[in-house]
Amino acid sequence: MLEEEVALSTLKVAESMGKLLLAEVRLEERNSRQLAVKMGQVDSSSATQDTGMNVRIVLPTGIGFASANSISKADGKRLVEKAFRQAKNAKRRSAIALSAEPAVQTSWEVRERKPLADLSAEDKVDLIRRIDRAIMKTRIKVEGRYYELKDYEIGGYFANSEGAKIRSYLPRVTLDSHNLVKSKGDSAQCIRQWGASGGWEKVEEWGLEDAHVAEVRMLKKQLDQGRAVKPTTMDLVCGPEVAGIAAHESCGHPMEADRIIGREMSQAGRSFVSPDMLGKRIGSEYATVIDDPTVPGSYGYYPYDHEGVKARPRYLYKAGLINEFLHNRETASRLGTRSNGSSRAENYLREPIVRMANTFVAPGDFQDDEMIGSIKEGVLMHSFTEWNIDDKRYNQKYVSREAYFIKDGELGCPAKKVILEITTPGFWGAIDAVSKRIELTAAECGKGDPMQGMAVDTGGPMVRLRGVRLK
Amino acid sequence: MKALRDTAEELVEVARTAGARDVVCEVIESAVQQVRFSNSEIDAVNSWSEKHANLFVAIGKRTLVSDLRDLDRGESLAKELVASATRAPEVKGYGGIGTGRFKYGSRKADQGIAKLRDAPRFVLDAISGATSAGANNVGGTMFIRHHRTAIASSGGALATDETSSMDLSVRAFSQPEASGHALCCASRLASMKARETGERAGELSMKARNPVQGDEGKLDIIAEPLLTGSLMHFTADMLSALIVEIGQSMYGKKLGKQVASKEITLVDDPLMDSISRRSFDHEGVPTRRNVLIKNGVLKSLMHNTSTGKRFKTNTTANAGPLVPTLFSVTAQPEAFHPVIEAGDWSVEEMISETKDGLYLNNTWYTRFQNYSTGDFSTIPRDAILRIKDGEIVGAVKNIRISDNMMNFWKSVDALSKNSEEVYWWDEASPPSTLPVLRARAMNITRSA
Repeated sequence: MLEEEVALSTLKVAESMGKLLLAEVRLEERNSRQLAVKMGQVDSSSATQDTGMNVRIVLPTGIGFASANSISKADGKRLVEKAFRQAKNAKRRSAIALSAEPAVQTSWEVRERKPLADLSAEDKVDLIRRIDRAIMKTRIKVEGRYYELKDYEIGGYFANSEGAKIRSYLPRVTLDSHNLVKSKGDSAQCIRQWGASGGWEKVEEWGLEDAHVAEVRMLKKQLDQGRAVKPTTMDLVCGPEVAGIAAHESCGHPMEADRIIGREMSQAGRSFVSPDMLGKRIGSEYATVIDDPTVPGSYGYYPYDHEGVKARPRYLYKAGLINEFLHNRETASRLGTRSNGSSRAENYLREPIVRMANTFVAPGDFQDDEMIGSIKEGVLMHSFTEWNIDDKRYNQKYVSREAYFIKDGELGCPAKKVILEITTPGFWGAIDAVSKRIELTAAECGKGDPMQGMAVDTGGPMVRLRGVRLK
Repeated sequence: MKALRDTAEELVEVARTAGARDVVCEVIESAVQQVRFSNSEIDAVNSWSEKHANLFVAIGKRTLVSDLRDLDRGESLAKELVASATRAPEVKGYGGIGTGRFKYGSRKADQGIAKLRDAPRFVLDAISGATSAGANNVGGTMFIRHHRTAIASSGGALATDETSSMDLSVRAFSQPEASGHALCCASRLASMKARETGERAGELSMKARNPVQGDEGKLDIIAEPLLTGSLMHFTADMLSALIVEIGQSMYGKKLGKQVASKEITLVDDPLMDSISRRSFDHEGVPTRRNVLIKNGVLKSLMHNTSTGKRFKTNTTANAGPLVPTLFSVTAQPEAFHPVIEAGDWSVEEMISETKDGLYLNNTWYTRFQNYSTGDFSTIPRDAILRIKDGEIVGAVKNIRISDNMMNFWKSVDALSKNSEEVYWWDEASPPSTLPVLRARAMNITRSA
């Protein structure tokens, strides 16, 4: 049990050090288990219990952060002294300020119908072996067949010098799956992730055997029957996975306020978005992208962020306009607004920074088949493999994993390795229809220095882009 | 150090007494300080102090590993781990741990770095250097690291290692779309050249001013070590035997084959003076200099004991961390310090003998369409300078290298005589020592 007394004692020490804008203490305990299975055989397994704490001191002269992998009043005192000294030594000319936020006192938990900790290693191995056997039964040549299953529970206690006290419990489970399908001298890779907040019941909902069988059959068909696209301009329908990666990369990231003000300039980069672009057009009226941490059961779920601010849906692009940035208290103050609860840290060893949660394109009013039915000549890019984007989040590339030609409103043969290389306004401005049905995909977003992996979902419905160049 | 070594030995003994046949215990004590800066000011100063032990146990083919974070309970956690290992699934491909009468090299860590408490002053020097060279907005990070490690194993490993290092990364802007990036990696305090690093980033940012839209087509590229360091991240990964096994490598079935141009000799050298120097791998086997590619021919993959047995060879002392790490395949053999042997060109000669090309400072976001074929793209950033008829004629922007990694290495025809150690974020990682290189006729693409 994480002791409130340690946190409160640590805050008292902080307040005794001198005038400060804010002191925060976070205590954390995490139990994690990981299993790797390669070609039907277990390759490694691990189990770790971790407890630790951090202290963040905010002074006008800078921010100091110190952490240790132990929890005690003595640790708290030592960390306060260190963080206070660091914040003081930063000697900023422009003073740091924080947005005013209510001091929340609450506790929250994600409940598990089938607690992750109750699962035996055999249960987990059995799940992955069933996936592997199902793939083998297809008689398709699939190399690699590597899976990592990870589950963990994070207990947290957060308190700050303004009176916030939040206790939390968050279980998560995720599967990484790597397969390489070979056929007729060619190959296609598939690297996918599933993830959720909750218990083992989430894993049972994923339908992993069917999903993997469908995936390898699809890849074989792409290899055997796929034809290359002749570089040209045509209509494109993006499936939920492609819409989701675009939402994450060319909307979510450039709308992170820390990036906009330059805080990540030497690592993840800056943004093509500047503070004065709020309200400016970036896409068509059908381009609405939401980042919502409160989706129940989602991989990126949280009700309060790591600064104790209540989370809520953020409409980043709204009807094609730049609408709202992702903020923590520091960036919100800098840009004259309130935090929208976007501050998260990977664990107690890292400083909280602005992060996405579950980022997706908002649904429209088309049926999926209507999206394709109105296209005379085009391509459906259902899913992607290679992707990247520049560090101002303006030039992006997606290469299809699964794609099909569309002719006179009907799906045709597979289209092989279709490349969309496009600007951000080019992508969002070309959308003229969005379907009703949303799918989310789990992902691990990387940002920060040291790198912090963060549980997120990306997704959306199908989106239709008119007249884009495909290669 | 003796206390760390005693802890490692004791935990090995506890685990063996509890019934484990193979045991590796690595006790790590680290103190890391980081200064983050942007907009020419310090944003945050972070520090991390950790003491923990990675404990691996095997009972027959049943293996289990844990990061023991609470060493006050080390003995009981070790016993619990062994008890859990009896219920762990069998790892059929497990081939044991390194065994032998090991001898380890030693080298002293610079205590000047270990005791350094005034990191911000280096950062202020770097900002000042960049600004004096013409930059108007400077950001980056500075790390000061001090690690003390002890390892013991049932296979005979017993050693300690101490390292201290500093690494500074400076990105300087002279215009919103004109930047330069420079690094300094130092294992000796006297080698930290903060101001000069800032100046170099600033100078590059000035050369990158007024960039114009880059064109598609085949162009020669001259790559600074920072760019090649990012590509090395993936290349080194793919030389790991476990990555080959899971089909995510272009080096499958390529031993003895030409996988790069004759100019390329790639070694992993954990013993040279660098910020990633280490005396033993994560099984406790003494590290050594491994030639991976010799004059373009693939000579060896990197192995731990298990992959070595599966590939009918020996460990190369490249056992990676036994506990899972972010964005890596668990327990994969890994490179500690890749080195490309230098050539005999000057950078000026490379530029003057390039008719139609690009001089590239940095890249990021390298992603593969297919690891097994090597098809990839990456996005150059910071100074992207256009070369025509042997001269730099201006800066460009918004381009991407969309090519094949094997083709990239096969297209290298010139290496500089000077090398630089690079380590930047999660991109140019692990730390590597690389020359400037030229690759011919790389495919350049851009957004429509």
